[in-house]
Amino acid sequence: MSRVTSLFRRAAIPVLSVVTGLLFGGIVIVLTDFDHLSQIGTDPVGAIGGAIGGVVDAYGAMLSGAFGDPTRILTALQTGDGADIAKAIRPITETLVAAMPLIFAGLAVAISFRAGMFNIGADGQLLLGALGATITAIVLADKVPAPVILVASIGAATVVGGAWGFLPGFLKARTGAHEVITTIMLTYVAKLLVFFALRSPYLRAAGSTSPISKDLTPIVDVPNIINLPGLRLDYGFVVALLMAVAVSWLLFKTTKGFELRAAGFSLSAARYAGMSAGGSMIVAMTLSGALAGMGGGLMVIGTVGQLSLDLSNGIGFNAIALALLAGLRPSGVVLAALLFGALTQGGKLMGVESGIPFDLLFFIMALVIMFVAAPGLIRGMWRIKSKPAAEIEATPASKATPA
Amino acid sequence: MRLELRDITKQFPGVLANDRISISADRGKVLGMLGENGAGKTTLMNILSGLYKPDSGQIFIDGEERTFDDPVAAIRAGVGMVHQHFMLVPVFDVVEAVALGAETVTGFLGTFDRAAARKRIVELSEQYKLEVDPDAKIENLPVGVRQRVEILKALYRHSDILVLDEPSAVLTPYETEELFAIIRSLAAGGTTVIFITHKLNEVLEVADDIVVLRRGRVAGTADPKSATRQQLANLMVGRDVELIVPKGPAKPGDVVLHVENLQVRDDRLEMAVKGVDLEVRAGEIVVIAGVQGNGQTELVEAITGLRPIDSGQITIGGHHTEKSSPRHVSDLGVAHIPEDRGRDGLIDYMTVAENYILDSYHKAPYSRNGIFDLKAVRERAAQGVKDFDIRTPSIDTYAGSLSGGNQQKVVVAREFSVPVQLVLAAQPTRGLDVGSIEYIHRRLIEQRDGGAAILLVSTELDEVLAVGDRIAVMFDGKIVGILAGEDATYENLGLLMGGASFGGGLAA
Amino acid sequence: MTATAATAQISGGGLAARRALRAARVRGVAFAMLGLLAIYFASANFDVPAKFSLWIHEQGGDSAVLETKVGLLWIVAAIASAVVAGLQLLRGAGLRWRRWLLVLIAPWIVALLADLLAGKPAILTNVLAGSFEQATPIAMAAMAGILSERSGMFNIALEGKMLIGAFTASMTSSLVYIATGNVLLATLVGIAAAMAATGLTGLLLAWLGIRHKMNQIIAGTVINIGAVGITNFIFLRLLQHNTQYNAPPSVQPFKLPFLSDLPVLGPILFSAKPYVYVGYIMVIVLTYMIYRTRWGLRLRASGEKPAAAGTVGINVIAIRYRALILAGLISGLAGSYLSLAAGGSFQMEMTAGKGFIGLAAMIFGGWHPVGAFFASLVFGFADTTQSLLSILGVGVAPQLLASVPYVVTIVVVAGVVGRVRGPASAGLPYEQG
Repeated sequence: MSRVTSLFRRAAIPVLSVVTGLLFGGIVIVLTDFDHLSQIGTDPVGAIGGAIGGVVDAYGAMLSGAFGDPTRILTALQTGDGADIAKAIRPITETLVAAMPLIFAGLAVAISFRAGMFNIGADGQLLLGALGATITAIVLADKVPAPVILVASIGAATVVGGAWGFLPGFLKARTGAHEVITTIMLTYVAKLLVFFALRSPYLRAAGSTSPISKDLTPIVDVPNIINLPGLRLDYGFVVALLMAVAVSWLLFKTTKGFELRAAGFSLSAARYAGMSAGGSMIVAMTLSGALAGMGGGLMVIGTVGQLSLDLSNGIGFNAIALALLAGLRPSGVVLAALLFGALTQGGKLMGVESGIPFDLLFFIMALVIMFVAAPGLIRGMWRIKSKPAAEIEATPASKATPA
Repeated sequence: MRLELRDITKQFPGVLANDRISISADRGKVLGMLGENGAGKTTLMNILSGLYKPDSGQIFIDGEERTFDDPVAAIRAGVGMVHQHFMLVPVFDVVEAVALGAETVTGFLGTFDRAAARKRIVELSEQYKLEVDPDAKIENLPVGVRQRVEILKALYRHSDILVLDEPSAVLTPYETEELFAIIRSLAAGGTTVIFITHKLNEVLEVADDIVVLRRGRVAGTADPKSATRQQLANLMVGRDVELIVPKGPAKPGDVVLHVENLQVRDDRLEMAVKGVDLEVRAGEIVVIAGVQGNGQTELVEAITGLRPIDSGQITIGGHHTEKSSPRHVSDLGVAHIPEDRGRDGLIDYMTVAENYILDSYHKAPYSRNGIFDLKAVRERAAQGVKDFDIRTPSIDTYAGSLSGGNQQKVVVAREFSVPVQLVLAAQPTRGLDVGSIEYIHRRLIEQRDGGAAILLVSTELDEVLAVGDRIAVMFDGKIVGILAGEDATYENLGLLMGGASFGGGLAA
Repeated sequence: MTATAATAQISGGGLAARRALRAARVRGVAFAMLGLLAIYFASANFDVPAKFSLWIHEQGGDSAVLETKVGLLWIVAAIASAVVAGLQLLRGAGLRWRRWLLVLIAPWIVALLADLLAGKPAILTNVLAGSFEQATPIAMAAMAGILSERSGMFNIALEGKMLIGAFTASMTSSLVYIATGNVLLATLVGIAAAMAATGLTGLLLAWLGIRHKMNQIIAGTVINIGAVGITNFIFLRLLQHNTQYNAPPSVQPFKLPFLSDLPVLGPILFSAKPYVYVGYIMVIVLTYMIYRTRWGLRLRASGEKPAAAGTVGINVIAIRYRALILAGLISGLAGSYLSLAAGGSFQMEMTAGKGFIGLAAMIFGGWHPVGAFFASLVFGFADTTQSLLSILGVGVAPQLLASVPYVVTIVVVAGVVGRVRGPASAGLPYEQG
């Protein structure tokens, strides 16, 4: 089989999973469109047509929210007017902005799944990482030069996130406490901790009654890639890409990565081979938390600029979907994060323009996970022949028996 | 009842497990079914017990054709099955385990009528002299008793045809004798017994008729009164087999492994190794013989550093390793072929190359400073595949897709790819075909002749006698006797494995 | 080992043994430290008065008052801690410490409560009755978890199913109430609809896990995320602006005849919302069903050793399907409690981890309905105390108090080492020949 067809085959299930997920999402939009559906008795064609029109509008808004208007981009580029260009390409850069934390969280989930651990708590690790960065930035403000604050904040985010990942890893290795439960519980605790921290006037935005931190931008800001007004795509995105490369290198080119993968497939065989199974769990979860925390840190000192409780907004959940979609490959995580970034960014515009709540995306993500994890469903729906047994790829998430 | 199977055929992907097999067994007779691993015995029995459906062929009971769509149909027709791996729920007590699936209920909410079940079990165990405490928990029973529970299970369901699949695998020779007595009394009472085994002596002892399977077909039948072991072995393998692997005399050198007064606990915290003293010298093969579950597993795990010890001393090549990690023990030049290769020896979803370096990945030439040299990995793995004759499409094939024999070759290749001073092989030939068994034995002898000390754990008397230079028999966590290879016989080993001690006399 | 089965099956080898011993010692030392801590607290606030009252017959009626000093309560707690610590250290891994833990927890909770109240009087009846109320959805989730895992299936989807249940119950009940004006009918139809929806979700989970052999944790995650997505979506799209569709008649307390007249106990146990009574009955019936009936025998066999069940002709697959559907029905009932009885309407993500806490209660209770019920009570008590303290304005940040149940869950799940085993085959796919 040629490389191209093999690549096509490998991509078929993920792509069709997303397409099918969006189709089901459309059905949900139609079914909840009571304004149109209430007329089904008097004008069935118009009612259904209108409802489907609503879907088209919604997904259209999503598309333009994610990618902008090509003709407008071209025109703007021709005129060369900075402000115009910025406005025209803003949807694309915002998609990349949305993809940045998704890459981090996706890598976090992928690395834990590779090691046979289900990190369901990337949300909490991301939030606490962000809290770490926020506190560091505010504490260091005006005391040291901005670049030092930048590095220290990212470092703090990574360490705090890592610690929040270490905890479930350690508990699993030492006591057998299942990481699914501990990571979920720790996410609730993390949210409450952030809420608690944001009560402090030291952190909270002046005059705000809701739990939102001060604007960190005057203190520290990750440099932007394109210096045009209104664009906030910054070098955090580049760091995300570098991390994907680093994780890939770690997993496949280093002995530590070998240990993680071995533990993910068979703890018992890993132990017999002289590896420390508990150690692999702890390392994997710590790295996982550190990645998520770093992502959160880069959000608050970069693209978002302040800490609030809805900073994570389900990124941890989406990360599970995209990590599985990516077959737990770091390169795949980047691609899937770009796709989900587009969905997220587009979903916001969809919310604004067609009134379709953003939360529909969670439902679509759940379907995507389901289709990727049970490819038989997709094969059945789209009448794809199943692969010969030898070609089926193994991922620890689907093969490893949860401990 | 008379059982007849006619032209049973069953195809699995890539394997013709049963190819037009016809056998019959008369009422009150014991049919011994002989065959090596993979000959199709278990498939045939699964067809008979309704777990599989044959692709073609017929089953007759007392001349009447039957089809078994599920186990219930087979049970109703009077076929009772005693599986090789006991099918008993460990946390149930005997009454629950026996009655499961055939429970009687009293009215309210389908309440299980425990009293009735218990009464019937007590009656049956008295009638057939199957001594069992009906209220004991299965997981607390010794294996011999569990087997009685399995037989009770069949009797409880009024089985007239009893199929026993490798029933002696986990029994001591004494327990095996008890089992044979039970089988004879059942047959005398009119039960038809099918006794599946790969042990030649056993069919000769207990069967009224013998049928030999080979590669899914009936290779021949024999009369136990006149057949010899050699004839049966040839029928079973299909060529002349040497029951003994050629090997020269051992030239024992320095003591490599020294174990003194070792005590080790099992997973349930019970003492499993109760004060073992053992020495293995360079250039000799010491076999730990014994029935499974007498502490061998824990002994080997303790030596490898996988299991913490309670007390005692272990030295390997002069180094104390009582508190060493598995990695440290392995770095001393210890090769370990684990008992459960599928679970512990290999990772199914990693490639042959990755499995080849599974325990030496952290060393040169495979890696430096934690970073792989993938070229070196591939070269060495390819060399290993060649040297050890591993049949695999490529080194990038998942290990899980190889045959059992080739999987074990991957393990052996890995363990023997570096110089070793001590080899710990725990039941390395279990479940393998004769060719692979011979291969493993040859490799072990090769290592011995190269100067390594070999500790082999085996439950198979044939294997023990074939390769052991010295034989230590383990029973109930203790070494009950050590024999020189040439002094060992089926009889004296059998006695020792059943727990008869020769006192201090023969123990080295 | 289980989603939830927190049995430490990290290794095949003897680490389990070493862990059990070490864990026992750690527990012993921890209990002893609790004792010392209690002594410290006793010396810190010895003379602060502690005043608890219990209603004898009914809310606002006569009350029995217990008046003492905080220090004395702490000393009782210290003695209890010392006793349990001593037993643990002497008997090692063999101690059935979960039962003894209750001996320690009870005085500790009373002392802690008195200490935090710092002299303010508290009505214990309300706290205890509230604990039973709060424990009910958790206990029901735990029952659903027990059913699933006993059959051999993980069920981390309880959270999502409860959310779906809460949502469906609220919306259906509101609609029926608008149409008929009949409170009882609206409530019953709402509950039925919730159970139907979650029963179907249970079927979906079983289908994904059994038919498609999807990893059961991922399958559960799918349902949890999907439930958040779909309920949030419909809430925002429809209910937010049409609040009449999210205004179900709320379930009122119902005094059981005779039993509610029992002094002291009546107002605590038998003057609650009917859900609580359903919870009691469920615990008793399930215990009987699991341990005394043919159905239970086969259910446990499916979860412990499905091959053994399969070879005697038991349809393991069917048992697992049925168990997951039944678990779905129960989690729907639990969910409907949240919107119909506790909250008065559906709110986004209103389960707030109760499904997972239910799983923790299941583990803590050793996969036994009665044990899980008592574990749920502990969680319910933590919940109630937390709201009581924030109402009284005790000087602890509400966010920190709110995190107590989650922290307790982590401690519980981490503390369960060795002794209690979950169903041996939970989470493993079963191949029927």
